[in-house]
Amino acid sequence: MAFMHGIRGHGRSRHPKASRKPGHPPTQWYLNPNLHVAINCILMTVAEICLQLGAKDASQVDVPKWLAWTGLRDFVSGWTIAGVVVYICAFANWLYVLRWLPLSVAYPITSATQVLIAISAWIFLHEHLSFLRCIAILLICCGIVLSSKPAANAEEKL
Amino acid sequence: MSLVPLLLVLVSQAAQVGGQVLLKKGMTPAQSKRRKRVVALQLGAGVGLLTVWFLLWMNLHEKMELSYLFPFQGISPVLLVIAAAFLLKERTHWRTWAGIALISLGTVLVALSEKQGV
Repeated sequence: MAFMHGIRGHGRSRHPKASRKPGHPPTQWYLNPNLHVAINCILMTVAEICLQLGAKDASQVDVPKWLAWTGLRDFVSGWTIAGVVVYICAFANWLYVLRWLPLSVAYPITSATQVLIAISAWIFLHEHLSFLRCIAILLICCGIVLSSKPAANAEEKL
Repeated sequence: MSLVPLLLVLVSQAAQVGGQVLLKKGMTPAQSKRRKRVVALQLGAGVGLLTVWFLLWMNLHEKMELSYLFPFQGISPVLLVIAAAFLLKERTHWRTWAGIALISLGTVLVALSEKQGV
């Protein structure tokens, strides 16, 4: 929870390296907002895979129609609960990212999740990675690189 | 696609964009007690809207094929950057727009590859 101290402290941290101008991200490498965007993409990928497994499990369970409509039926599966726990971790991490990066820069970079899911499915689930999907992944990667360029100067003046 | 699922998709995307904008607003530094209450309200409303998005999206995952649903995920970065530019007054670089165009195109291609099995 070191980053929470950074949020509350606003530059009042006693760590010698943590001294910075108000409105500028902490200087420690592990508090770098760009690193936390990457962590967020990994957490979202894990959560999505868990939720997908949970939805498959839950589709075989009979529940009242109103409950099925809300999507709450999926919570009968442990995979869904695991997915939600990972999502909550990703959410806490995302709040930290939002503290330091503009939304219009940080959000497009999280599209890397789609690439990570496709590659994870190829490596771990041995799913086929088609030519068209490879092109799509390449396009998304190019888009992320283009979108993330402004992030280098995105230390907001708050 | 019939009207009700299309409406649900649009409502879910709008809820996601609204939730993210409110979270971003809420993460600005709190300076007074009154400001903290506003922050709590913004974060609470943001979490509420993202919960609506999450439940609707899970429901749509069950009802629709992923290949039909996935392209709609591609419009969320576009909507979000527009919302950030107008509601949060964020300055958007041309590279952001070019990047978003590529990401959205890539997302649609992922859906097409799923549909055609190529």
